[in-house]
Amino acid sequence: MSWLSRLNPRAPGSRAGRSAAPSGPCTADPETCLMVFENHWRQVSWVLEQREPSSSSDDLTAVRNHTDQMLCLLAEERLGEGSEGSPNMGPILELVVTDNILEHLVQWHLRRGLDSESQGALLKLFEMLIGQSQQPLLQHRAVLQPLLGLLGACADPQLGCPPVLENSLVLLLNQVCVSMARQPMVLEMLFRSTPAQQGPTNLLIFSLLVPFIHRDGAIGQQARDALLLVMAASASHEAVARYITENSYFCPVLATGLSALYSSLPRKIEVRGDDWHALRREDWMGVSSLVLFMNSLEFCNAVVQVAHPLVRSQLLDYLHNGFLVPVMSPALHKSSVDEMIASTAYLDLFLRSVTETALLKTFLRFLLLHHHDNDTILDTLLTRISSNSRLCMVSLSLFRTLLSLNCEDLMLQLVLRYLLPCTHVMLSQRRAVRETDLYGKSADKFLSLIPECCRLSTVPPGEREDDTVFWGKVLNSPSTESPVQPRPSTPSRLALFIRQQSSGGGSGGVVPSTPTSTEPAPSSPRGSGPPSSHPMSPDSPMHQQQVSIDCLDWESGYLEYLHDARRGIELCSWACQNWSAPYDGENPSPNMAPSPPPPPTSNPSLTVFPEHFSFQHSGSSNSPPGQQRAAIVAAARSEWSSSERDSGEWDVTIGKNNCISLTPRSKKRSLQREELPPKPMPPLLPAPSSSFSTSLSASNTPSSSVPHLPASAFTVTHQAMLNGMTGQGDSCSDSQDRGMEVKKVKRELGEQHHLDENSNQNDPPQPMHNDDNGDISDEKPLCPKQIHNLSHCSLPLSDISMPSSDGSQRCSVPSSLPDTNLKDQGLQSVERLIEELLEQAPGDHQLSGDSNGQGISIEAFTQELRELEDRMRERSRAARQPEETAGVPPSAARQVDEPTPSSPLDSELAGTRVSTKAKAESSVMGLSSPARPLGQPASQPYIGPFMVVLFAKLENMLQNSLYVNVLLTGIVAQLACYPQPLLRSFLLNTNMVFQPSVKSLIQVLGSVKNRIEAFAASHEDFPAMLRKAQRYLAARGKVDWSDSPVAVPPLRRSDSLVKSRKPSLGDLILRHTNSPTRARHAAQLALAHVRDGGQSLHSALFRGGPGSGGGVMGLEKQAEALRIKNAVYCAVIFCEFLKELAALAQEHAVSLPFPQSQGAEE
Amino acid sequence: MNLNPFWSMSTNTSRKQRSDSEEQGGPEEQRASPARPPFGKKQLPAIPSNAAPITKPASTATLAQSANGTHASYGPFYLEYSLLAEFTLVIKQKLPGIYVQPSYKSALMWFGVIFIRHGLYQDGVFKFTVYIPDNYPDGECPRVVFDIPVFHPLVDPVSGELDVRRAFTKWRRNHNHIWQVLMYARTVFYKINTMEPLNPEAAVLYERDVQLFKSKVVDSVKLCNSHLFDQPKIDDPYAISFSPWNPAVHDEAKQRMFTYKRRPEDHHKGMQVLGLSWVRPGSTQPFSKDDNAPQS
Repeated sequence: MSWLSRLNPRAPGSRAGRSAAPSGPCTADPETCLMVFENHWRQVSWVLEQREPSSSSDDLTAVRNHTDQMLCLLAEERLGEGSEGSPNMGPILELVVTDNILEHLVQWHLRRGLDSESQGALLKLFEMLIGQSQQPLLQHRAVLQPLLGLLGACADPQLGCPPVLENSLVLLLNQVCVSMARQPMVLEMLFRSTPAQQGPTNLLIFSLLVPFIHRDGAIGQQARDALLLVMAASASHEAVARYITENSYFCPVLATGLSALYSSLPRKIEVRGDDWHALRREDWMGVSSLVLFMNSLEFCNAVVQVAHPLVRSQLLDYLHNGFLVPVMSPALHKSSVDEMIASTAYLDLFLRSVTETALLKTFLRFLLLHHHDNDTILDTLLTRISSNSRLCMVSLSLFRTLLSLNCEDLMLQLVLRYLLPCTHVMLSQRRAVRETDLYGKSADKFLSLIPECCRLSTVPPGEREDDTVFWGKVLNSPSTESPVQPRPSTPSRLALFIRQQSSGGGSGGVVPSTPTSTEPAPSSPRGSGPPSSHPMSPDSPMHQQQVSIDCLDWESGYLEYLHDARRGIELCSWACQNWSAPYDGENPSPNMAPSPPPPPTSNPSLTVFPEHFSFQHSGSSNSPPGQQRAAIVAAARSEWSSSERDSGEWDVTIGKNNCISLTPRSKKRSLQREELPPKPMPPLLPAPSSSFSTSLSASNTPSSSVPHLPASAFTVTHQAMLNGMTGQGDSCSDSQDRGMEVKKVKRELGEQHHLDENSNQNDPPQPMHNDDNGDISDEKPLCPKQIHNLSHCSLPLSDISMPSSDGSQRCSVPSSLPDTNLKDQGLQSVERLIEELLEQAPGDHQLSGDSNGQGISIEAFTQELRELEDRMRERSRAARQPEETAGVPPSAARQVDEPTPSSPLDSELAGTRVSTKAKAESSVMGLSSPARPLGQPASQPYIGPFMVVLFAKLENMLQNSLYVNVLLTGIVAQLACYPQPLLRSFLLNTNMVFQPSVKSLIQVLGSVKNRIEAFAASHEDFPAMLRKAQRYLAARGKVDWSDSPVAVPPLRRSDSLVKSRKPSLGDLILRHTNSPTRARHAAQLALAHVRDGGQSLHSALFRGGPGSGGGVMGLEKQAEALRIKNAVYCAVIFCEFLKELAALAQEHAVSLPFPQSQGAEE
Repeated sequence: MNLNPFWSMSTNTSRKQRSDSEEQGGPEEQRASPARPPFGKKQLPAIPSNAAPITKPASTATLAQSANGTHASYGPFYLEYSLLAEFTLVIKQKLPGIYVQPSYKSALMWFGVIFIRHGLYQDGVFKFTVYIPDNYPDGECPRVVFDIPVFHPLVDPVSGELDVRRAFTKWRRNHNHIWQVLMYARTVFYKINTMEPLNPEAAVLYERDVQLFKSKVVDSVKLCNSHLFDQPKIDDPYAISFSPWNPAVHDEAKQRMFTYKRRPEDHHKGMQVLGLSWVRPGSTQPFSKDDNAPQS
């Protein structure tokens, strides 16, 4: 330190001025400098030449001082004037070279024995010299050799570099690499001129740097920068590349280092908002372990970019075999939902951050081809979309990222290979695959699905000046023919919530509420709008002329959808021009296409929540092996084998959503679960045989319908109720979970197989109670449809605790009770339950983990909702079936309940629908739709698990949360941008006739439409609510539009490389990263706000309404409000989605293909 | 349809290349045509093999209601997009020697020019206008009117209108497309039909005195070409106009034309990455491409 500080006066250009122009300091004339230098050198050499290396500190000090001055002079010396413009060495450098001064110096130090202080001083001195020198130095052996000698002294073969020297060493190495990058020949010299004693690791600089690859902070960054420079310099240097791959540990260290860093990542991501679904930069910048990982990943990316092909391919190999397969793959298959969420979000982040094609390929290869217990990673991941928890959102986000890659291989695996054989289309229709929507027919069809109840456009004249040009006379006709009923806006919950929002915005900005007179005028957070005329119109340049936000964008947004669609299609087809084939139904030929994999024999979703099978460790022993269903076995296998492999120890955990999971215990794993005390297994499995379910059912009996059951008692039921963001009841939202649950239970007990009679009218009668062999089910692929069926009986299945004979008997009980009857009972129970729940409601909030009382998290809320419904169901069951269940726990009777297609609450909410449609609808609902019906031969066309799961989720829109719907419709729209006729026709050609077993998008949407209409019909104030939801979303969008970034970085651009991006709200839920349309954007921003503001929509909605007093709002009201809210938002999103699809259909007809691989030449 | 920014927006991309090529094609043609060597034997360039209508007639009925149905508000979009889709089809067909450009003012009016490269009408450059009925695609077939009445049995000597209807007696949506009309307009100059002529004189001459017919054709071609540089008959920003070759203007345009690569509309250099593919052509297996293949 003193060295440098003393250096400074004489070398003002030293540290700070290093990069400054070499102007100032060296004004002295070269000859004077040389004389001074010689003078110093004389005095130094006098010391050096003493025989006995003196130990006197005087000598050392003198040498140091003189060396100090000398090297400063050397550094400041300019290039000498050479002949013909080729510069010579300056006189000082010449002297240094001829007299080998540096070598003498270093040798003297080495002979004396270097203490770390003088070593550090030398390092700094050399670093100064190399960093500041005005002329190239390293090409001279007289400089290089002593440098290497010094460095060699730092490289203790055993201990490495002493910690105190690390900083100086890395800095020096960094400088060396910088100048090496400037003078490529230095690399050659470094490579050759290494002292012999260094042995095989002859690229000393390199091996010194490698240990710092994954280091935290500046030192790690410098080391990585330096290594990168070496990589770049050696890109064309085969010998060096060979050395790196064969003699250094660079690649393995880098790759396995990633593994180590990954293992220290949080296994649970603290979720801040209900809408959270992906890691943004702001999310992880504060998490040091993640920052560390991302730095290293970024470094890998950079190395792949610049390094020699040899190095690159070695690194990629190591990444695949040393990180992805051994670390990432098990991580993605963790058994707890939290860990799945975390690992999925990480994977998403990694994919978004990687920019190098080769590295992306490694990741994609891993995803597409690597099998983890029989399933590819991709297949496993996609099944998670069907979950109802946040896992669904995170998975959707991951797939959004994947789709944005426009990767042929991926699309082939996900979708195209299932469409290639064209078996999904009627034979006569195959030619139509290539047709486009020439006359807007498909577009018209999509638009026609906009529910009547959502067409409430009031168009204040003059508000659409700009639009009338396009819309012409026709535009106004709908508004005249469907005059809007200006309903008095009843203070519905939505109104409350809107109002609440306007005052409750957090840091993310205040939401302006709608300009209804009943509501306080919000002040736009950024930029004061023109307050005088329209106090509430946000100050967005795009929307200055709004007279009223009402319906502003909801009818006129079509143009923008067209524009976005055009852009999306163009970008997509541009990106796809380097694909190998057009996928137009002829090329690749349908006949040549290998038949796609059949639908999974086990429902893929089963593997989604392996925790469902965790019980098997104890439970499976109870069931006769012969009765285990093959499908379940298959599904369970993965968890079985993977978990068994790990270790003998098990952690029993109750996840956030009360899923019980058994996880192999390993050192670090249990950290984040500590908040939730592990429950021992025994309580859950009180008795060997079927007592598990007994306890389960007991927990569900009316008598125990206390909100706070002991966790151990109700976990399982809960599980079914929980996951969701979706508040809907049994038959829809969580059908899968239930299905799984059913299976789990079944698997344990192995005897009774209950299939819901009621949910498949369309199918041949299902085997209601398999005999003991369970043969029927054994042979049948367990497809989603079946799951769906099962879902209806999930709870009832708990009656398996009864003797098996009983079970079958009960199964045959006429399943369909009069709906009205049901409903009545349901309502009664609702009321009773409400009372109960009201008493306990406050305590329930703990479930959400929301101890600060800020709001009810949607998950917790959904959970409560489900609980509520469940209990109501139990009640009605119990009420109906006392006689049957006489000798058994009351809950056992629930099975008979099967016919209830939806919960009483549900039916109350959507009464008309329930009462009329029950049967017909039930087969449409839930997961069933796109899947092939039970019992169909395996040759039936199958459109692949991805489409199946997306359609199923889509069909459920009404129950999905706003967030899920935004993400979900975004993915479908993203798919619909692909220009490949096979895919385009499958999604967008509404005239296409598919095989009966294949459900089309338009059918799915049609059923959603019906549900929305049924919902609207059952809610008098639906129009008002809808308008409010629209206004709210639109208003939100406008607020944030004014300051949303103009150019959102494209997805492929590394997130991690985009420095200091302002936390842009729009990024949050962004579906179309690059083309936010107003409506959608609005929705996205609404979500973002929820998150950033720390105040959730729901808390606003459920707290602090006028009727709610001190926040004690009835649980049932909250439940209803959530359900309504989901449905109303769904209606909004649905309409926008239809417009978007219509626009896509139209734009496909007018888009010109890019000639294939035109861009590849560039 | 009056001035419609939307329309102009939506044609912008295609216009970029089309207009370039038209401005370009004209003068170049002009210059080159005297020396143009015949394409081997004189014969019609092959009609694209997919000229036969691809679509099937099944679905004619449904759309009719859309105009009056619940989604009437989207009607204009459908019309515009149908026409734009037709235009896209024209581009995809790559009809030899025919260029069209929808008018700025109305999507129902297209300007066109046709270059006859051999045969009786060799070197003819005929400008024309296509008028599409506003109830398209449910109306009559589009009309084709030459700016200057060409001497031809099927071209009205006064109005310049080509008898298109004989080829499209009934315009069938899904079956008939505007590119077929353009194709037809081209064909009549290579294969003379004298049945039920609009210009009986030409028909009779062709039957009775081919030499005289030929000379009249030559005169007509000359006449047309002499008016090539006239102002367009219809004042429209997108009307096709010719100007003498001016190296200062046209060389650069030509250069651009040859080097032009279409990119997505708001494509920024380096912003969008090309899609990924490791599928070997002909395979449907992921990552089937040779690993050594250069990666972009």
